Amino acid sequence: MNDTVTIQTRKLMTNQLLQRKQIVIDVLHPGKATVPKTEIRKKLARYTRPHQMSSVFGFRTHSGGGKTPGFGMTYDFLDHAKKNVPNHRLARHGLYEKKKTSRKQRKERKNRMKKVRGTAKASVGGDKRPKE
Amino acid sequence: MAAPDMLGSDLPNAVTLLKNLQEQVLAVTAQVQALTKKVQAGAYPTEKGLSFLEVKDQLLLMYLMDLSHLILDKASGGSLKGHAAVLRLVEIRTVLEKLRPLDQKLKYQIDKLVKTAVTGSLSENDPLRFKPHPRNMMSKLSSEDEEDDEAEDGQSEALGKKSVKGVSKKYVPPRLVPVHYDETEAEREKKRLERAKRRALSSSVIRELKEQYSDAPEEIRDARHPHVTRQSQEDQHRINYEESMMVRLSVSKREKGRRKRANAMSSQLHSLTHFSDISALTGGTAHLDEDQNPIKKRKKIPKKGRKKKGFRRRR
Repeated sequence: MNDTVTIQTRKLMTNQLLQRKQIVIDVLHPGKATVPKTEIRKKLARYTRPHQMSSVFGFRTHSGGGKTPGFGMTYDFLDHAKKNVPNHRLARHGLYEKKKTSRKQRKERKNRMKKVRGTAKASVGGDKRPKE
Repeated sequence: MAAPDMLGSDLPNAVTLLKNLQEQVLAVTAQVQALTKKVQAGAYPTEKGLSFLEVKDQLLLMYLMDLSHLILDKASGGSLKGHAAVLRLVEIRTVLEKLRPLDQKLKYQIDKLVKTAVTGSLSENDPLRFKPHPRNMMSKLSSEDEEDDEAEDGQSEALGKKSVKGVSKKYVPPRLVPVHYDETEAEREKKRLERAKRRALSSSVIRELKEQYSDAPEEIRDARHPHVTRQSQEDQHRINYEESMMVRLSVSKREKGRRKRANAMSSQLHSLTHFSDISALTGGTAHLDEDQNPIKKRKKIPKKGRKKKGFRRRR
């Protein structure tokens, strides 16, 4: 039994409104675990031009293993991709950095800002604990 | 030699025939003269009649005139060859033949008109009696409603127009007292029983009984259980939606349970020893299978906001 990973594509559609081409990808991997997305992107890159960006998502392995259908989208220009791809998917490719402030910190900052009026709000920041 | 004998035998017949002819001619001339007098006096006015019938009248009269002219000529010993009246007759005859299909088409109208003129009202099956009366659709409080006759066509039309102009209000639905909906325990029980009955009717035991007693030919189909086909159809619908919208939908617990049950049903060995519950039809108590869970009453939990509206089909 050959243990190669095959990619079949279906339902190719050019979405002019979102400046992309979208396809349904069928990954066949008999005898192997689910193929990671990075590998699938590499295989897909063979069919796209080098400056194009592709993003794949939504892979669900059928029960019994061997077949994993998912979705893929290829963008011609990076600007279009940055506009139309959601941030969590951009983060997977390193094009987006999520701010690391915790929720609690953000809420505390907001409450501190509520106490101040006008332009002084912008200078409110950091933790102003009274000196003990 | 035989000729004078034949003539001799025919002579008395001829004389009687000629006498009859004379009498009839006298009668006909009297009638025609009476008719002409009446027409000249204007007893048959045709201005308001159908022009088609007028044309037919005139044509028939001309035909008669030409024909009598020909008879006159023939009777006085002349020949008909190349007679001008023959040509005229042929022309009138062709026109009359062409008028015949028109006559057929107008037959219904003419008969109806004649009947109305004779009896004075429309027949009972006349479709004109059943035409819509918009005046009857108006509110009965604002205007008086009369059962109007078909003869008052113009009057009803005018009245209808007046009513439309005057009373053009916005439609206000009737304000009824709101009633609180309370599904009592009894109603819930009834619904449950009905559902159980329907489920029992589609069970394998009942189906086999039906096949046994019906006269229809026996069908052997390689079909799956109806619940299984229903579930597979739903799955197909879900897959189609996911692939066309390029999203992955979440599967609720209920859906998961349905899917699991459908998969279990497709295993054929299960149906060998397990029979579905038909107590709803037989009236006994519900029996429980060994591996089945006890009958639980499901409470209605209100569903929180449904995000994927396009997909969820209303049940």
